[in-house]
Amino acid sequence: MKTRLVFLLMLLLAFGLHIAFGDVDIAWGALAKALLSGGDVNELHATIVKEVRLPRAITAMVSGTLLGWLGLLMQTWFRNPLAGPGVLGITSGGSLGVALAVLLGLAIPAWVAAAVGCFAVLLLIGVGARRFVSPVTTLVFGLMISYAVSAVVTVLQSSATAEALQTFVFWGMGTFGKASFIQAMSFVALQVLLGAWMMHRASWLDMWTLGEDLAQTMGVPKARLNMEILLITGLVLGVVTSVCGPLAFLGLATPHVYRFFHTERGHLDAIQGIGMWGGLLALLADGVVRWTDSVAMHWPLNAVLAILGAPVVLAVLWKRTHDWS
Amino acid sequence: MNLVLNNLQVGHKLPLTKPMSASFGAGGMHVLLGANGAGKTTLLRTVLGVQAPLGGQVTMETKMAKLHTTDAQAWGKHAAFVPSMPPKHVGLTVSEVLALSGSEEEAVSHHPQLEPWLNRRLSALSDGQAQQVMVARAMLQSKDWLMLDEPTAFLDVRGQRHLWDMLTTHLQQGGSVMLATHDLRGVHRWMQEAPADVSGGSSIHVLSSSGLSPLATDASLDAMEAALS
Repeated sequence: MKTRLVFLLMLLLAFGLHIAFGDVDIAWGALAKALLSGGDVNELHATIVKEVRLPRAITAMVSGTLLGWLGLLMQTWFRNPLAGPGVLGITSGGSLGVALAVLLGLAIPAWVAAAVGCFAVLLLIGVGARRFVSPVTTLVFGLMISYAVSAVVTVLQSSATAEALQTFVFWGMGTFGKASFIQAMSFVALQVLLGAWMMHRASWLDMWTLGEDLAQTMGVPKARLNMEILLITGLVLGVVTSVCGPLAFLGLATPHVYRFFHTERGHLDAIQGIGMWGGLLALLADGVVRWTDSVAMHWPLNAVLAILGAPVVLAVLWKRTHDWS
Repeated sequence: MNLVLNNLQVGHKLPLTKPMSASFGAGGMHVLLGANGAGKTTLLRTVLGVQAPLGGQVTMETKMAKLHTTDAQAWGKHAAFVPSMPPKHVGLTVSEVLALSGSEEEAVSHHPQLEPWLNRRLSALSDGQAQQVMVARAMLQSKDWLMLDEPTAFLDVRGQRHLWDMLTTHLQQGGSVMLATHDLRGVHRWMQEAPADVSGGSSIHVLSSSGLSPLATDASLDAMEAALS
């Protein structure tokens, strides 16, 4: 409980720092005034805080939480510690959706296209899931999806307009900085939805980790659980991916960071722990991005996530390979 | 309740055996022997309602009531499963696993050996210890039938002993057991040593492509081996 509290404070601190610092120096007093919209506030400062920093901080924190939860959900669903939305190729499905929408100039919203792409890969996985008994098969599947998607994307790129191409390439680098306040709020709504669903289904998910047959004899309706996971994962990942880009590593690595620092328990506990860690890690990564922006280096978010995430995953592999034979 | 197979055919697309009809009496230890691939696991999955039969049906019956595998909710209260391999990579503690199916106090009162493990993770226990937890959990779920699929396959001698003892406890509490196994020695010893009031309604069946054929419960080890080859 005490660690939980420390954690919550760390998360709040990271969130506060994220809003407090930036290219424009804003004094603490002015910052508070801008947030609470009281007193005579510098118009520019108010706009920066409310329309730039606040949505960005919320988007980063909530995306981290959402992706961490999806990582946990995928690892539970496949009973495979190497699963994650990126590894399984689901994020790539979202990329394909966005590529079709942006590069072909289709008149559908990017989030719908991304969600449809995510659903498509999830369905493919759902149909073939029985074959995914080994972690290796899962990895190879995700890798093949990614290859296929990047092939299609390359073809689309070759005939796209320069403007569309630029939009797509920047989107692919990932950022928390493009979300409007409304979008940030829709992320919060998704967090409430996914969090409530996972808490509600925590005991089903716990049973599922014991084995597919056993879970069914314990009363888990397999078809219904599969359908719910498919729908909620497709929706959440589709929305996050369309706004922030195909984010790497957060989904896969966050549950492992949680397992490294805490004694893992059932889902009710993991949902809270991973939710906080995901938010914290995403804020840290975006902090690095914003710092590189401030010194005119402009590292893309996905590069930072890979630099931070790859060693985590390697460390986990190093430590635990022997259990995964 | 008695477990009744009525012209049951099990398999994936193609039936593994001829139609089977049998009645397994409540309160007994019912052992299924059979070569690898004979269909023991498929039969157990069908009896548990995880897999649909290709033909016929499985029911539980008393004079008053009749239950079908399709009534998943009610069926789960009368039939609990113990797979052969205790689950790995599970974050749950022993007490969380037990809580999924009932109260941990009840489990500990029946199986005091579980007490020191309650706060440990299931995957941190040895296979033998974890399997005892899985049996205790199943006993919380169903006071009636326990279905076990080669539960001793990964256990050492001591682990096997504990498991047979827990099954005896389940029978003493009025439950019934269906057990698919290759552990002929264990079956033989249990049939010899279990008190007569516990082993009374028991049976041994050999599963092959021609269906289920009964074997005497006092069959010798040699006779069991002969029936399997």
